[in-house]
Amino acid sequence: MASLTMAARCQDKRGSFFKLIDTIASEIGELKQEMVQTDVSLEDGLEPTEIPSMVKDMDNVCPEKKDLKSCPRDSGYDSLSNRLSILDRLLHTHPIWLQLSLSDEEVAGILQSQPPGIFLVRKSSKMQKKVLSLRLPSEFGSYLKEFAIKESTYTFSLEGSGISFADLFRLIAFYCISRDVLPFTLKLPHAISTAKTEAELEDLAQLGLNFWNSPADNKPLNPPAPHRPLPSDGVCRASRQLCLINGVHSIRTRRPSELECSQTNGALCFINPLFLKVHSQDLSGSLKRQSTRTPEVNGTESPRSPPPRPPPPSINSLPTSPQLSRTETQASMPETVNHNKHGNVDLLGKKPTPIPPPRLKKQASSLEGEGSNAKTLPVIRPCLSQEPTSGTAGSPGDAPPEQNLAACKKTLPTSSDSQLQWNGGRQRLSDMSISTSSSDSLEFDRSMPLFGYEGDTNSSLEDYEGESDQESMAPPIKSKKKRSSSFVLPKIVKSQLRKVSGVFSSFMTPEKRMIKKIAELSQDKRTYFGCLVQDYVSFLQENKECHVSSTDMLQTIRQFMTQVKNYLSQSSELDPPIESLIPEDQIDIVLEKAMHKCILKPLKSHVEAMLKDFHTADGSWKQLKENLQLVRQRSPQDLGVFAPTPDFVDVEKIKVKFMTMQKMYSPEKKVMLLLRVCKLIYTVMENNSGRMYGADDFLPVLTYVIAQCDMLELDTEIEYMMELLDPSLLHGEGGYYLTSAYGALSLIKNFQEEQAARLLSSETRDTLRQWHKRRTTNRTIPSVDDFQNYLRVAFQEVNSGCTGKTLLVRPYITTEDVCQLCAEKFKVEDPEEYSLFLFVDETWQQLAEDTYPQKIKAELHSRPQPHVFHFVYKRIKSDPYGVIFPNNEEENVSTS
Amino acid sequence: MMAIRELKVCLLGDTGVGKSSIVCRFVQDHFDHNISPTIGASFMTKTVPCGNELHKFLIWDTAGQERFHSLAPMYYRGSAAAVIVYDITKQDSFNTLKKWVKELKEHGPENIVMAIAGNKCDLSDIREVPMKDAKEYAESIGAVVVETSAKCAINIEELFQGISRQIPPLDHHENGNNGTIRLGNQTPQTIRRCC
Repeated sequence: MASLTMAARCQDKRGSFFKLIDTIASEIGELKQEMVQTDVSLEDGLEPTEIPSMVKDMDNVCPEKKDLKSCPRDSGYDSLSNRLSILDRLLHTHPIWLQLSLSDEEVAGILQSQPPGIFLVRKSSKMQKKVLSLRLPSEFGSYLKEFAIKESTYTFSLEGSGISFADLFRLIAFYCISRDVLPFTLKLPHAISTAKTEAELEDLAQLGLNFWNSPADNKPLNPPAPHRPLPSDGVCRASRQLCLINGVHSIRTRRPSELECSQTNGALCFINPLFLKVHSQDLSGSLKRQSTRTPEVNGTESPRSPPPRPPPPSINSLPTSPQLSRTETQASMPETVNHNKHGNVDLLGKKPTPIPPPRLKKQASSLEGEGSNAKTLPVIRPCLSQEPTSGTAGSPGDAPPEQNLAACKKTLPTSSDSQLQWNGGRQRLSDMSISTSSSDSLEFDRSMPLFGYEGDTNSSLEDYEGESDQESMAPPIKSKKKRSSSFVLPKIVKSQLRKVSGVFSSFMTPEKRMIKKIAELSQDKRTYFGCLVQDYVSFLQENKECHVSSTDMLQTIRQFMTQVKNYLSQSSELDPPIESLIPEDQIDIVLEKAMHKCILKPLKSHVEAMLKDFHTADGSWKQLKENLQLVRQRSPQDLGVFAPTPDFVDVEKIKVKFMTMQKMYSPEKKVMLLLRVCKLIYTVMENNSGRMYGADDFLPVLTYVIAQCDMLELDTEIEYMMELLDPSLLHGEGGYYLTSAYGALSLIKNFQEEQAARLLSSETRDTLRQWHKRRTTNRTIPSVDDFQNYLRVAFQEVNSGCTGKTLLVRPYITTEDVCQLCAEKFKVEDPEEYSLFLFVDETWQQLAEDTYPQKIKAELHSRPQPHVFHFVYKRIKSDPYGVIFPNNEEENVSTS
Repeated sequence: MMAIRELKVCLLGDTGVGKSSIVCRFVQDHFDHNISPTIGASFMTKTVPCGNELHKFLIWDTAGQERFHSLAPMYYRGSAAAVIVYDITKQDSFNTLKKWVKELKEHGPENIVMAIAGNKCDLSDIREVPMKDAKEYAESIGAVVVETSAKCAINIEELFQGISRQIPPLDHHENGNNGTIRLGNQTPQTIRRCC
């Protein structure tokens, strides 16, 4: 469903996408000009074959720039070794500059005391959109100017600018380097631009809004980079010439400490999907085959396929890190660097050499990954730290980037002396590549179809990339083939579309990143959100009897998802805030997908089993089974079919689709498959007659086909979709065909020999009406209280270890009542011997009878530092470990 | 930039009166190739400007056979408008139309805009339903009425423009696009947003 509209949108916006591509192409061209060369002898050794080919790709992107000399560029090592990129600085410190809720006056107050170039991003209540508030120098008349930020479906851009970015961070990072539509480039506060480690940035970020009036801001800091040997510094700052003469002087081995300050667990190697896309386009002939694969097939069976992807970043391997933002940015480091490296690779030399197969390229890139991983390799040292310079320069017009860039352009000579200016804009360069190609691959996104979408436009325009999420997905290959055959496009349109889809897919990455992040958060019981989700999921799984009907069950799940979505969009647990990564009109869609992943995915098998139980118990499956039998014996004409019907082969194809549907957990993906089935039916109907068919003809054929498929499970599938689909999609195409499928099934269920071609039972009508009411009325805004109704209690016995249950515990239920509930649930014979304990900070506290466990839980959650805690129901007298803890802290906990 | 409003429109009427032909004509004339087509003719969309808004019609076709009658509520629920089609050469289809109007009044969404389309007006020499009857009936129920020919592309755009005009704008600005088209009733009604 979503992807259909996506495809629609894509087509819809084809024009603007092409424009965007052009913009990007010319940006890349400019980049090439602006690029400052670096000594690449090191890299050259590593990747002799790929360089020219990548460059060739670049040229294809921007043929108009062909005359320009490309130049080697920063390897990225230096930024690894001793400095953080602007993007990293921004990511770490968003609590300072990203102040969405700030009022006009507050912003004015803050920026007034700042030097020109300092900025804030906030949401303007006047304009109802995000704005970049920029401090101007006095000669501009006013000291403050606001630039509206435009959010399209997948991108952020400044009003009036043609350059779009995948998220706010990249947008800001870009404008720190290039002014584009701004009067001058943005400037980071001194403390931020000169911080040397992530820890420093974190400390600053802790200040949040207070940063602006804290001594940390404004206080001129010590000159940067004390650990850098002065000679090298001086040499580079003073003269590029030296670099030219002796490019080698700047290479030296990094100290381990330098590596550690910036690198987490192993470097990652990522290929910028944009470039990859372009590359694959050249090779579309030879790569076409790959298009039939699923993204997650890493291709061990094909010689062409890429090697397995590099190990995931440290997100999961840092379970002790309490701060998500930290985890995230650490993880982003290697990515950034590798991205730079690719940019570098892309733009190296211009020798016309044959394009290597993708495999070579990827091998080389994995080599790079190893390279940056192997800490013994010599690395290029930076000659000049760009950032400190711009950081200390106070004047607004001071734009060293431009100056240097201009210098670069002037001196941009032949490739032989291209090493000339490798130092000046190094920092800028690496950042530039980040921001310009807002498309870079993203750190969290393990599931991104890095290779899978090659050559297959439809797969990225449609929903297939999403299905990589669905591990259980069976035969995508088949449907994929089918699908592409149903989109017959002229070749030129195809290639354009493919180009678009490359850009498009890369713009999707923040979305996938966000979904992944939310899914991870939902696994983390130290967060409130994680607790909510985990408690709810285990509650449902453990309390089979808590729902009276299938509808009741699905309805509560839908409600819970809506509530959690609401909570997430308001809470501050997402860091960075979702608004900074996802354009506003997409937030709900992204949250919905995330809900499917973290709630429906773990519940899928449970829900299926429950639905089956319900329908077996109430006899409706038996009835359906009998009637299916009956209907199948009738001729199509008896069902009112007067159009061509699918033959046996087509019905088999449809069955396969329905079986695939059963494997999906996302109602939207299921609906997508339903649409494919309907499309196939239309194709059969129309192919054989050449006319368009409306519902008069379609509905009978659909009924006939559903009967032929003879799948009882379809009943629960339809029910699942109808109850769980995002309400906003119910009026669209998906909603229409879902309604039709439901109608067809209802007809079959009520089909009886004597009332063939008669009316449906009034019962079905009532059901339909109720369904409508339900789905259109339950849209009340939930309160946080609603989710607080679950409490996970562990039961500890001396002999049998620990078992846990999730109990329905409302906020005002006392410990006494919970104890009673536990006694029942855990089947304790002597309840007076047991009590409820709170285990927190390695200590046990017995809870007094009149305390409220849910309040205690809420209090624990609201503490600034996350605590690991458990509610344990156990014997009062003896502790399994032989220790009895006094309950002296109980009062504190319960009253706070 | 104009706001896009999605309006669910339900098509009702006997089988064979040309419900889907009307929609096909409406959607496919001046077809905008930038908009992805729907998978089939039972569900189609078309976006038209109306005042300072864009109306995106989500058109739900229904099966007209008697046996599917009971499914209709699912299709017209949440509709902002219903197009009820009859065949001017078949009196029966006009009688069915009256049944639909009655059902909509009783069970349909509140304030649903009703538009009556007398299709096949190119066959007026074998007409069974006088135009006057239709007009009077439409007036009595406050519906838009127009005689159409999907075959000859007569009054198709006008039919949907008539619906558009009866959908009150979200903000309270005047629609600025009033009456040039031969339509019956133009009583403004308040319409619930469809989604």
